[in-house]
Amino acid sequence: MQFFSDTVALSRMQFALTAIFHMLWPVLTTGMAIYLIIIEGLWLKTRNLDYYRHARFWSKLYVLNFGIGVASGLPMAFQFGLNWAPFSESVGDFFGTVLGFESTMAFMLEASFLGIMLFGWERVPPVIHFISTILVAFGANLSTFWILSANSWLQTPAGGEFINGKFVVEDYFRAIANPFMVNSFLHMFFATLETSLFVIGGISAWYILNQRHPEFFSKSLKVVLAVAIAIAPLQVFMGHLSAEQVYHYQPAKLAAMESLWETIPVGARADWSLLAIPNDKGERNEWQIKVPAALSYLLELKPTLDQPVKGLKAWEPANRPHMIGLIYYSFRIMSGIGIFFAALMGVSVLQWLRGKLTPGAIVQQKWLMRGWIFAAPLGYLAVETGWIVRCVGRQPWIVYGKLRTVESASNLPAGEVLFSLVGLTSMYLVFFVAALFFGSRIIRKGPNLELSAPVRLGIRLAQHEPDHRPVEAQQ
Amino acid sequence: MEPLQQFLPQVWFFILGLFLFLYVLLDGFDLGVGILSLTTSNEERRSILMTSLGNVWDANETWLILMGGSLFGAFPLAYATILNALYLPAVVMVVGLILRSVSFEFRENADRKFIWNITFGVGSFLAALGQGFALGSVFEGIKVDAAGHFVGGIWDWLTWRSIIVALTLIQGYVLIGSTYLILKTSGELQDTHYKTATIATWTTLAGAIFITVTTPILSQQARTLLFTAPLVYIFGLIPLSGLLLVWLLLQSLKRREENTPLIWTFLLFATSFIGLGFVVFPKIIPPSITIYQAAASPSALVFMLSFIGFLIPIVLAYNIYNYVVFRGKVVGDTYGE
Repeated sequence: MQFFSDTVALSRMQFALTAIFHMLWPVLTTGMAIYLIIIEGLWLKTRNLDYYRHARFWSKLYVLNFGIGVASGLPMAFQFGLNWAPFSESVGDFFGTVLGFESTMAFMLEASFLGIMLFGWERVPPVIHFISTILVAFGANLSTFWILSANSWLQTPAGGEFINGKFVVEDYFRAIANPFMVNSFLHMFFATLETSLFVIGGISAWYILNQRHPEFFSKSLKVVLAVAIAIAPLQVFMGHLSAEQVYHYQPAKLAAMESLWETIPVGARADWSLLAIPNDKGERNEWQIKVPAALSYLLELKPTLDQPVKGLKAWEPANRPHMIGLIYYSFRIMSGIGIFFAALMGVSVLQWLRGKLTPGAIVQQKWLMRGWIFAAPLGYLAVETGWIVRCVGRQPWIVYGKLRTVESASNLPAGEVLFSLVGLTSMYLVFFVAALFFGSRIIRKGPNLELSAPVRLGIRLAQHEPDHRPVEAQQ
Repeated sequence: MEPLQQFLPQVWFFILGLFLFLYVLLDGFDLGVGILSLTTSNEERRSILMTSLGNVWDANETWLILMGGSLFGAFPLAYATILNALYLPAVVMVVGLILRSVSFEFRENADRKFIWNITFGVGSFLAALGQGFALGSVFEGIKVDAAGHFVGGIWDWLTWRSIIVALTLIQGYVLIGSTYLILKTSGELQDTHYKTATIATWTTLAGAIFITVTTPILSQQARTLLFTAPLVYIFGLIPLSGLLLVWLLLQSLKRREENTPLIWTFLLFATSFIGLGFVVFPKIIPPSITIYQAAASPSALVFMLSFIGFLIPIVLAYNIYNYVVFRGKVVGDTYGE
């Protein structure tokens, strides 16, 4: 097959594969770190041992994910040089700098304080432990910031000029704060948080449904609810803002997201396509269902357009994205999940307000709990499909409008790339299955409800703050 | 050349050297302990080995990512060309590191730990092997055209000499891993590693002597560099201090000291590293491309320096703090429970 001798295609495949696999792990740890701050804060404030046990229980899932995240991140750090040498050389001044920042400022912080967060309960005073947890979360989210700044720059390059094929930076701050940066970062920040919250909520719901420690897990579910109330609707709104930016800066991507072939002129009604069968070669949709005027309302809040929406045919086939079906359906899956999350959130809050989530009543909420279990893996799907839209939709450019992907790949023998691609793929498959196995094993085993407060804390309580013993101990 | 255009790449050469050195030192003992774990059949002992790494391996491995990221930013040409030339060893290294990190976490949760024990050890070995071949190519040189792009073949890194360099690096990692375990363990386990440390000292020494002797014989460039004043005095000092440190190390192992073997090993690594630095400088893609040719623009170097340079002391401080918190012998397996 031609694919196996095409270095560029193989390199793209390898990048997509490593990115898709890598993404699965930090998405959870980044968001869960924030949840761990809340749980630990509650423990320090209420001295209710359940919160301490929660912190210890969820850390087990955290560390499993973190380990795989670090490992799968390594090929990301080297891949730009390995497979995309001309790209690295061309934009290294900016892109390399930002990746350097990510590892020095953010990733190192997270990796170093992780040790104390996981194993330091008995070794450092509670306040230092709490600070470590905060620094882990801060580091993780700072990583998101730098990675999203770098990726946004690929989408909307700013802060300099390409001179003889090399990007010369004029203003670093403008390059970092490129047009996509703020929205993209917030969208991803909410995405990691939302994904983790729904994973934690889903697992908690599984315990509640199975009548295993329902009281204990109604606590985590409520923490999740309290945070997600704000996040879930906000994320839908962030998604909308991001799509508006795509419309403005990357019209060809928007056309691909909508599988729109013909330009919709000014003054016309823009329908929104709900489902379609895109035909890339024939430059048309074989079949589709449209919602009248919905796209006009989405983009301009009125029935007809002031600005045209360009169709894919407005670009030469060489200058627009392909795999339209993939982009089109990825976008719909992502948005659908975002809306589903917001709806599930709404129903749950309603039940909470009606007093249906008390430890006694919550086990009766079978369908709600099933809904949460169903939602648990959806965040990952939304994140992956979102990135597919973002990066496949950016094609044929690696740096939008400036540098083409085909010109950016290293001139390696295809066999060499095939070797690493096959090696990484088979390894990732094994790890994915093993991670699911061990993750579900941790969950099946459940929390340790016998766990007593850290000794170090006990000593401190006895010596300095006798009144702050755990609530149970005081009674 | 303007002083600034000379100075900035030199500063970055130094910073990258520092990152690489810290990586080799810190992940060196991680990898060494991993390779040593292959020789243990007792699960309890293996647990202690793993626990000794539990809180530090993430951060130690991060130095490599730091190095990769900073190399990309400071010397994009070198980042691209070196990784192109070393595609296969780099992939082997990455695969090895993934294998060991993931095995580490899986092992903690597994009932039948056998598979993950093996993959942990094998992963550590592969990572060390890949790094060894990368180091070997520093001596062998990378074929580039005038613009600094790689023009060699995919097996260029594999020569009889790079095999010896790789084996020596593995011995070095075993040595540093053994001395780390001497510090962190006690009793029978510690006894074992006094033995492995002694053996590894001799094998590392043999490799190091071989590399030191063959470098000026085989490389014209190294010969002119090494045997002209004033550098000849510095180069004379390095093997001498190396031998002195080996002697001190063997003495401390014989006297069963607990802390000093690791310190002497660190210094031994530092000495070799400085020697290597002198041979390589000012090249970043040996033998032809200099740091000045491969450097990013001065503005990029200044911008990176103003953030990363400022952060280095902080990063070092909290890494040291992490070691201070977990100082002392490994006690039990408190993993996650």
